[in-house]
Amino acid sequence: MKITQLFATAAGLAVSASLAFAAPQTGQPAPEFTLKDSSGTEHSLSDFKGKTVVLEWYNFGCPFVVKHYDSKNMQTLQKEATDDSVVWLSIVSSAPGKQGHLTPDEAEKRKADEGINSTAILIDEDGTVGKLYNAKTTPEMFVINAEGTLVYQGAIDDKPTPDAASLEGAKNYVRAALASVKAGTPVAEDTTKPYGCSVKY
Amino acid sequence: MRFPAAVVRSFVVTLVAAFFLVGEGRAQVYEGQTLVEAELLADVSAVVPGQPFQVGLRLQMAPGWHTYWKYAGDAGLPTRIDWSLPEGFEASDIVWPLPLGILEAGDIQVYAYKDEVLLLTTITPPADLSVNGDPINLAAAASWLVCEEICIPGSAQLGLSLPVAAASEPANTEIFETFTARVPSSEPPSWPLEWRREGGNWVGVANPGTGIKKLDFFPLPAEGQLAGHPVVAPEGDTFRITISADGPLAGVLAVTDADGERGWTVSTGDAAPAVTAFVGGSASPTVFVALLYGLLGGLILNLMPCVLPVISLKIFGFVRQAAESPRRILMHGLAFSSGIFVWFLGLGAVVAVLRARGQEATWAFQFQDPVFNLVIATIVFVFALNMFGVFEITLPGKATGSMSDLGAKEGYGGSFFQGMFATLLATPCTGPFLGIALGFAFTQPPLVIMAMFASVALGMALPYLVLSARPGWMKHLPKPGPWMERLKQFMGFPLLATLLWLLYIVAQQTSVETMIWSAAFLLGIGLACWIYGTFCGYSQSKRTQTIALAGITASVVMGVFFLQTAFAKKSEDGIAWVDFSQASVSALLAEGKPVFIDFTADWCITCKYNEKTALDRPAVAAMIREKGIVPVKADWTSADPEITAALKEFGRVGVPFYVLYPAGRAGEPVTFPEFITEQMVLDAFAKAG
Repeated sequence: MKITQLFATAAGLAVSASLAFAAPQTGQPAPEFTLKDSSGTEHSLSDFKGKTVVLEWYNFGCPFVVKHYDSKNMQTLQKEATDDSVVWLSIVSSAPGKQGHLTPDEAEKRKADEGINSTAILIDEDGTVGKLYNAKTTPEMFVINAEGTLVYQGAIDDKPTPDAASLEGAKNYVRAALASVKAGTPVAEDTTKPYGCSVKY
Repeated sequence: MRFPAAVVRSFVVTLVAAFFLVGEGRAQVYEGQTLVEAELLADVSAVVPGQPFQVGLRLQMAPGWHTYWKYAGDAGLPTRIDWSLPEGFEASDIVWPLPLGILEAGDIQVYAYKDEVLLLTTITPPADLSVNGDPINLAAAASWLVCEEICIPGSAQLGLSLPVAAASEPANTEIFETFTARVPSSEPPSWPLEWRREGGNWVGVANPGTGIKKLDFFPLPAEGQLAGHPVVAPEGDTFRITISADGPLAGVLAVTDADGERGWTVSTGDAAPAVTAFVGGSASPTVFVALLYGLLGGLILNLMPCVLPVISLKIFGFVRQAAESPRRILMHGLAFSSGIFVWFLGLGAVVAVLRARGQEATWAFQFQDPVFNLVIATIVFVFALNMFGVFEITLPGKATGSMSDLGAKEGYGGSFFQGMFATLLATPCTGPFLGIALGFAFTQPPLVIMAMFASVALGMALPYLVLSARPGWMKHLPKPGPWMERLKQFMGFPLLATLLWLLYIVAQQTSVETMIWSAAFLLGIGLACWIYGTFCGYSQSKRTQTIALAGITASVVMGVFFLQTAFAKKSEDGIAWVDFSQASVSALLAEGKPVFIDFTADWCITCKYNEKTALDRPAVAAMIREKGIVPVKADWTSADPEITAALKEFGRVGVPFYVLYPAGRAGEPVTFPEFITEQMVLDAFAKAG
């Protein structure tokens, strides 16, 4: 029985791989990863099972990211989230020598200088986790629920511009997704087109 | 009085500018470099009341930098123009010339302009404009994002002043002609272009005729619509465009021939298949193809060595029990077929539940994960071996026993259980066709999964249904014989093909090396299967079986060891290998630096073994850092004449080969034997600094 089943599914699963081989899908389990943070501590996604997790792709030099940090928009959202026991991981996938790359020390300094309220800044300088999540832009955002399911991916808000004036009246998709997760309701807009600079792999 | 040269020049420039109706230019300067120069140009010498004319925003980018198209792609931002026009004037949306598709590192696809672009806007002046009045001032706030490696937003307040006249002359004709020619036509192309839906993709087949050098598709997804990266592949005279998107997708098709590049605005339309009513309207044609495969797979099950001989027996049984009443023979056939259906639908329910639970648990089917792919590869491989007859799967005697007891009962109930029993007997021979259909089922909603299993059941039940209706046709049944075994063996090859494909994916996701070690793991598993099949039969003695068990364990352990090697994490403080080039090595040696060159190739197993066991070690890496040795990797995987020449200098014709130039003694290179050990390397390196 078991053998039959495995057999029946094996060859076909392989074929269906061509259909399924793509970016992580909203509603599917978020891919597991392990990265070191700016203090050298390792974090795995599975460490945070039972908690809501936000992944933020971060490049301090990207004008779109600058919009959210200079205005304190991002720090405010980070604080709201982490105060609500959400785990917020800012991930730096810039390769060494490329814009946005941070050494652990630089990341620590930036965290202090900018008042970043992430749970941790994770260094992904070979881009493995960025590519695993098919992250294309900074800031690109992912929200993962307590069961480890990806419930939101895409832009931080609906104003794809580096212009800080756009923050007024912008619809923040991440804030909305976190509210839905907290309320136990499905995320209304669960996949949007991320905007920003390309991730500097 | 003499004017300073600069003043004269600027005066002349201003004059010329005024003559060509060039607006005021603005430059975006970043760290001393001019990245973008922006200005407004008009295609007329004067504004004529009521007559539309074109104004272009000309952006000139520094070499290597780009600004974005209407749809920027995965990153970036389209250029914006906000017009401030005199009363009664109207401006169109931007008319965008064809962009370039640029693929950045990390598979980031953007659509952009390099060097120069003219973004066109049609301005319509009011008909009652006074001709004798003052000149008209058109003002625009332009903003853009310019990127190379990094992105810098830019903006400019631009103005253009034009006289008002009863008639006007064309102006700036050359640049307007150049870029107007690159504006895609709003008409569809005159040549054939057909779109169809394949799974989540749009597939377009374009036949633009001969002499086409290049065809591009630039998607224009609607607000909120997600679109993938277009892939264009030439297919004979035609081009095949594939792009993932939900719903109808608009875009621009561009063709380059000897006359240059032209474009057309196109849309995939709905192109919905006429049969969408199936399964809540979510079915695509692929579902039907898969259902067909399922049916075919079910039919093929009947040709398997464990099934075919049974068919005639069963039908004869029906005929005997039914005492020649055609109606009752048919009833037995139907009862038998229901047995088959119940069995498969039960199986389908299990798969559906597994799939649903898999989505909840984290072990979901993630083909992004090379480990998962390897698990699937292993299963596929083991079943291929089973098909080849390397080993047989024997069902537990108890299960078959009780099943056949039930099946031995006479009557319709007996026929029903016989149907289930025949299916159980067939399971060890399940064909790849079935697998493919089921695999597809795994990615589908539960309803489709059940439909898939039902189609397999129908395929398997078909001969019984047909023959119980027309028992006379039994003489047309193929005769059981050795060909059945051959058919089963042949079915192993599609499985092996699947395996190749999976290993290719693993190699893409990781490295050729990981793929090879994974294959070595499969080798161990294969050996274990052979031992099991050859020495573990019922006829073998207890002793033989015990020894065989030890052999199986050893093979599996060996395989797992290889697997560990395959997925061993590279040490974080690894060796920072530098790519080989004769020039850079010569330069390093001239500086008196110690240099170690590893001549290697992906296909060279000895090289890989040495690298794993003797080079890629923490102690070696530490030594390299301590002694300041420059580690150079000469990768000969693909023929490289420079590396071949370097090998020749040492009288070598192949890899592996290792050479160490001690610091300041470039003339006394130390060479290593073909097999090296960590200690050997450490000793040599210790003396090199």
